Amino acid sequence: MNFKIPNFVKTNQFGLLCLVIIFICIFSFSTDGFTSRFNIYALSRVVALDIMIGLAMMVVILTGGLNLSLGALGVSAAMFGGWCMESMGIPISISIILVLAFGSFLGWINGFVTVRTGVHSFIVTLATMSIYFGFMTLLTEAEAFRKLPEIFTDFGSLKLFNKYISPLLIISVLTCFILYYVFKYTDIGRKLIAAGANPDAAELSGISVDRMFIYCHMLSGFLAALAGIMLTARIGAAIPSMAGHLGFDWLLPAFLAPVLGGTLLSGGKVTVFGTMLGAILVTLINNGLYLIDVGEFWVRFFLGMILLGAVLLDRAREYFTVKNSIVS
Amino acid sequence: MSDNILELKKITKNFPGVKALDNANFSLKKKSIHALLGENGAGKSTLIKIITGVYNQNEGELFLNNKAQTFNSPNEAMNSGISVVHQERNLIRRFSVGENLMLTNLPKNNLGLIDYNAVAKESKKWLNIMELDIDPNTIVSDLTVAKMQLCEIAKALSLESKILLLDEPTSSLSPQDTKNLFVLLKRLVAEQDVSIVFVSHKLEEVFEICDEVTVLRDGKNACESEQITNLNRQQLVKLMIGRDEQIINSKKEVNFEDKNLLNLQSINTDLGHKDINLNLKKGEILGLYGLVGAGRTELLKCVLGLEKINSGQILLNDKEIKIKSPKDALEKFKIGYISEDRKKEGLILMHDVLSNAGITVWSNLKKILAFLNDQIVYNKVDPYVKQLEVKTPSYQQIVSNLSGGNQQKISVAKWLASGTDILFIDEPTVGIDIKTKSYLHELIIDLSLKGTSIILITSDMPEMISLADRIITMKDFKVVGETINNHNYEQMSSSIMDNIHE
Repeated sequence: MNFKIPNFVKTNQFGLLCLVIIFICIFSFSTDGFTSRFNIYALSRVVALDIMIGLAMMVVILTGGLNLSLGALGVSAAMFGGWCMESMGIPISISIILVLAFGSFLGWINGFVTVRTGVHSFIVTLATMSIYFGFMTLLTEAEAFRKLPEIFTDFGSLKLFNKYISPLLIISVLTCFILYYVFKYTDIGRKLIAAGANPDAAELSGISVDRMFIYCHMLSGFLAALAGIMLTARIGAAIPSMAGHLGFDWLLPAFLAPVLGGTLLSGGKVTVFGTMLGAILVTLINNGLYLIDVGEFWVRFFLGMILLGAVLLDRAREYFTVKNSIVS
Repeated sequence: MSDNILELKKITKNFPGVKALDNANFSLKKKSIHALLGENGAGKSTLIKIITGVYNQNEGELFLNNKAQTFNSPNEAMNSGISVVHQERNLIRRFSVGENLMLTNLPKNNLGLIDYNAVAKESKKWLNIMELDIDPNTIVSDLTVAKMQLCEIAKALSLESKILLLDEPTSSLSPQDTKNLFVLLKRLVAEQDVSIVFVSHKLEEVFEICDEVTVLRDGKNACESEQITNLNRQQLVKLMIGRDEQIINSKKEVNFEDKNLLNLQSINTDLGHKDINLNLKKGEILGLYGLVGAGRTELLKCVLGLEKINSGQILLNDKEIKIKSPKDALEKFKIGYISEDRKKEGLILMHDVLSNAGITVWSNLKKILAFLNDQIVYNKVDPYVKQLEVKTPSYQQIVSNLSGGNQQKISVAKWLASGTDILFIDEPTVGIDIKTKSYLHELIIDLSLKGTSIILITSDMPEMISLADRIITMKDFKVVGETINNHNYEQMSSSIMDNIHE
């Protein structure tokens, strides 16, 4: 017998897919209501957001950096959107474009400061996290925007596919496909990855590494702003504390999704669909543990343990070098 | 009982998919200097790593003083008196010489704190044995490269080492420093009871200093403990590569009266270059010779816009140009740079062959909406990868899995694909096996015959004299001489050395 294992089976994504299926099985049998229409719909709304913030972190991890300001940036952009729609009465479509531009601008600040000072983005975004969140709180006086246009909030509670799936998930999955296309089939995507993998070699090969790094931060800001809009639509209001103090609530899923998905922390490799599966896994575990009713603290404990495990996995992956293709 | 201090018998070492060593033997006589030679990938480093306890062999035995030994870690080997001095410096640059020498065994006072007087005294003892006139309190980074090398050897001696493995110890030394080092090594062998394993690509040195030679080829012994006096250079090369060395003789004519293609006029830089003038003709290979630290690579990096040029002009076809970055150089002025450090600056090791070979041409190949797929890149780079005979199982192979020679070929291929008019080639054959080396030499000459103008940096004098049309000598970030190459080794090398030592 000459049986060859298909390459797909050896990938990180396949392992993740197996884990997702295993957890779905476990929770379906051990809890009531996991497979109910209500729960699946709720899951699709949460997972949509986790995928988006995972992607927002992934594009900065690509440079070997981090974006700690992710949550603060996303919420600031969302509050800006609330102000546009509610206080200024700007049409929804234009408001969304403005929000995305605003998010990209905040990302540009992160990137510009990182590149110009040469300080690690960990420090830069730690600072901008406080700055963005502080400014936002100051300007909004910590007040929420609760009277958003109905079409906008209705979209957030729309139910598709026999009322199982939120349209927000479709946006996230679509974004995955677009990013995959960019990294796999465009000149700029290849340059971003090359710059992240070895900045010196990329620079000497005629790539403007500084510009690429700024693009990555801008893309991160764009995706975080998109996540902010999605969260606003989901809860029907723009609230300063919707991602926790300083946006902390977003950080754990933001790291977990790409690292579980196989993105290297040292940079130079992206896994768009891995990040998507990583986000699904995190949401599943979160949701399942709540349904089992283990309590908030245990959920956090488990997610922390998973992050540590994923980081160990990252080290192992780096050690055995990247055997699979660079974009997956 | 033999008088061998170290003996390896029938060593076999397997790595996934490769037999790095295949029944290889090696024996080191007491108080001798033994050359270990072979091309890259022949198994030299694997053998050294087995001797120093980094790897364990799959088969075969290691005898130290006629007793069978197994080293499970570099520490165990070191405690048994085996030290290795690597090409890369293993000193901590911000520590003093004394601290570095005594690092593993720092003397302490009654309070358990470091006793700096004792550190100075103890380390001075070893520096004296080496006849090195260095204050132990000097910070290592203030030393010259040659002195650092000697400190490393002193450090090895301070560990009471009886076997010293020197891996390319002269690669960054000037001829004078090399001479001094050899005098010292001979004295150590005579007076200190030390035995030395000497690894070098420079065969002249092997003939000058070694007693015996062992050559590895494809993991097997091509010869074993042969007396060096029984061999000549030709025979040794034949043992290493399995055939005679090929000498290329380019009968190329460059008209030095032609107008300049690239012209640097009184360039002063942030890095300390003073009043640099040089010009490059079309189709010329201009050599930049100098010792390590002469500022050659740095000059090219300034020209590429990586470091600041404070004053002076760069002219391309008699028009002044400003190069802001390597991207500018490539896209606006068609100037490329093949780095001396292929692992750090030349290649993206974690990426595959296709993206490494294609990186310089992505911008040109992109279609509407920046679309670019593997097929488009493949069509462009394949002829160059084929031309260079890169040995790789596929274009999807990760570059770090390829041999050094093939890696170098890829970092050359990507610049061939980019079709630049001017190429800066920096140390193209460092750590490359002889076969690939002569292949690259032919390629460089061929390129220049087809009209590419080349600035070549190499510290390998024979390479410089066989390739360059004109040789500029640099020293301390200044141009100190210019000679038209007549390809006569004796004349050229002495005139270049005169330039440096004037």
